[in-house]
Amino acid sequence: MHMPAIAIACALLLGTLTVAAQGTASAEGTVTLPKQSAQAQAAKRYAGQAGALAAPEPPTAVVFLEGAPPPADDKPATNVVQVIQKGMQFGPGLIAVRKGTRVEFPNGDDFYHNVFSYSKAKRFDLGRFLKDEKPPAVTFDQPGVVKLYCEIHEHMRGTVVVLDTPYFVKTDTNGVFRLTGLPAGQFKLRAWLDDKISYEQPVDLKPGATARVNFPGP
Amino acid sequence: MAAQFAFGEEDLLRRLDDSLSYQSPKGFFRSELSGLVDVEGYFIDQRPPGLLFGKDDLFSPRLSLFLDTHLGSQFYSLVQFRADRGFDPGSKPDGDARFDEYLLRWTPWADGRLNVQAGKFATVFGKWVQRHDSWQNPFITAPLAYENVTVITDQAAPGAPAGFLGRRSVADTKATWLPVVWGPAYTSGASVFGQLGKFDYAFEFKNASISSRPTAWDAQDNGWENPTVSARLAHTPNAAWNYGVSASHGSYLLPAAEATLPAGYGRSSYRQTTIGTDLSWSHHGWQVWGEAMVARFQVPRVGNADTFTYFVEAKYKLTPNLFAAIRWNQQLFDTVPDGAGGAQHWDRNIFRVDTALGWRFTRHLQGKVQYSLSHENGPIQQGEQLLAAQLTVKF
Repeated sequence: MHMPAIAIACALLLGTLTVAAQGTASAEGTVTLPKQSAQAQAAKRYAGQAGALAAPEPPTAVVFLEGAPPPADDKPATNVVQVIQKGMQFGPGLIAVRKGTRVEFPNGDDFYHNVFSYSKAKRFDLGRFLKDEKPPAVTFDQPGVVKLYCEIHEHMRGTVVVLDTPYFVKTDTNGVFRLTGLPAGQFKLRAWLDDKISYEQPVDLKPGATARVNFPGP
Repeated sequence: MAAQFAFGEEDLLRRLDDSLSYQSPKGFFRSELSGLVDVEGYFIDQRPPGLLFGKDDLFSPRLSLFLDTHLGSQFYSLVQFRADRGFDPGSKPDGDARFDEYLLRWTPWADGRLNVQAGKFATVFGKWVQRHDSWQNPFITAPLAYENVTVITDQAAPGAPAGFLGRRSVADTKATWLPVVWGPAYTSGASVFGQLGKFDYAFEFKNASISSRPTAWDAQDNGWENPTVSARLAHTPNAAWNYGVSASHGSYLLPAAEATLPAGYGRSSYRQTTIGTDLSWSHHGWQVWGEAMVARFQVPRVGNADTFTYFVEAKYKLTPNLFAAIRWNQQLFDTVPDGAGGAQHWDRNIFRVDTALGWRFTRHLQGKVQYSLSHENGPIQQGEQLLAAQLTVKF
């Protein structure tokens, strides 16, 4: 390729990137989270039932943009996410993944765990598996909320929010979130806290600007 | 302004499950009510086997309520209430309501090395107790060792060996005869148990033997004048395996038998001694359990009546909802002097194979069907074929 052609190509690429950078928007804000409920204790009714209970994860929320078209160069999810079972808790207790994401469930305890779900978005049962074996995994191929349970330790609860959009983020434990790389336009921003609580806010995203959105709670 | 919406489904039972608990603001006090509603039907080709009472097919609904209460990290209590047609299906056909378990437990250390417990609760003997409720038991009935009624009675001493041996030729008299272990044996007393590394131990001092009938389990009905002590020691080399040994020793005769005993002997002269071993293994979709036990009943005017019983049980999850289970049970009876210079087996040897299919519709609804085939080595059969179905709602 001749030097002038390379220069032109570089200029075009740079121009495209600049336009793309200027064309994306951001959103940030805070979701008012519920107070952390005190730790549920597993009832061990009979002798010979093992295990010490760890503290559960503080409440968080999933914030996602609804109605926005995916980017032109969008690709199916190929990443792998882990949810560990340790101290008889799922960690993290809440994850958000894109449709098609593979989630592994390593066992971090010295005793058996199990993971199962009867949710419509994904129905599975991974059986009983040990700490040292290859973690069993599930590919979440349908959007929806998948509730996770362990048949051995009934108090254990986990949630996978499977989304059909690349525009999502999980808040920190203070409820703070920041979404970047969003398309410009008018959409809905949703905050999902649990099966009973979720909120939505209209949002007007402008290129190069950051929209401030707070979810004050009920 | 923000609008609430429902993301996903919320069903009634899950809401009920979540709402039946109370917790103080900092979690020091937590109490949770949960329950099982069982609807069972038994279809039998002959007279009902095991601890199924009545004379024919049987319909047996049951409501079980559990109140689990934690006070701080050291105190725990459990109350189990049941309303049904008797502790054993059909034993009180007009209906019954009872507190089957109530206990208070103190756990001074968080690692569980020591627990001290008092009340009315399941025996520490064996391993089956830990999965005996209808939700966890892959079958509808108990293993043979926990329900096969033998000719041993707790209510009167036989007048002679011939009378004792003659019971083999009649149908089970369940109101007066005993199995080796009567189900979970919710007897009254105190226990100490805990975990030390890969070992766990349990010791209990109770008011009645592990073979005793439900009407003998309450302390006000049967005190501790003739106690039973039981213990279990188990080792868990890794998460997949667990094996243990159990032992139990104590008087099995009720006060009603006192007047029928030979002169100079009391209830404490006649004891049940049982030694058992259990082994369990699980991995992925498989769970396998096995137990074997040898029991000796000291029978007035007869001598030592020994029996050996065992079972091997396997469960496999075919799909997230469907599981299958199979169990092989057998009980063999030794000989006792027949009073005429010879010796005879004191009861009929029996084998039974149990098969079951279960379907978990949701986390709150389960259905099971069981088919069992058994055969006793004698002319009298106790339900050679049993077909049972059970629907369980859990909340």
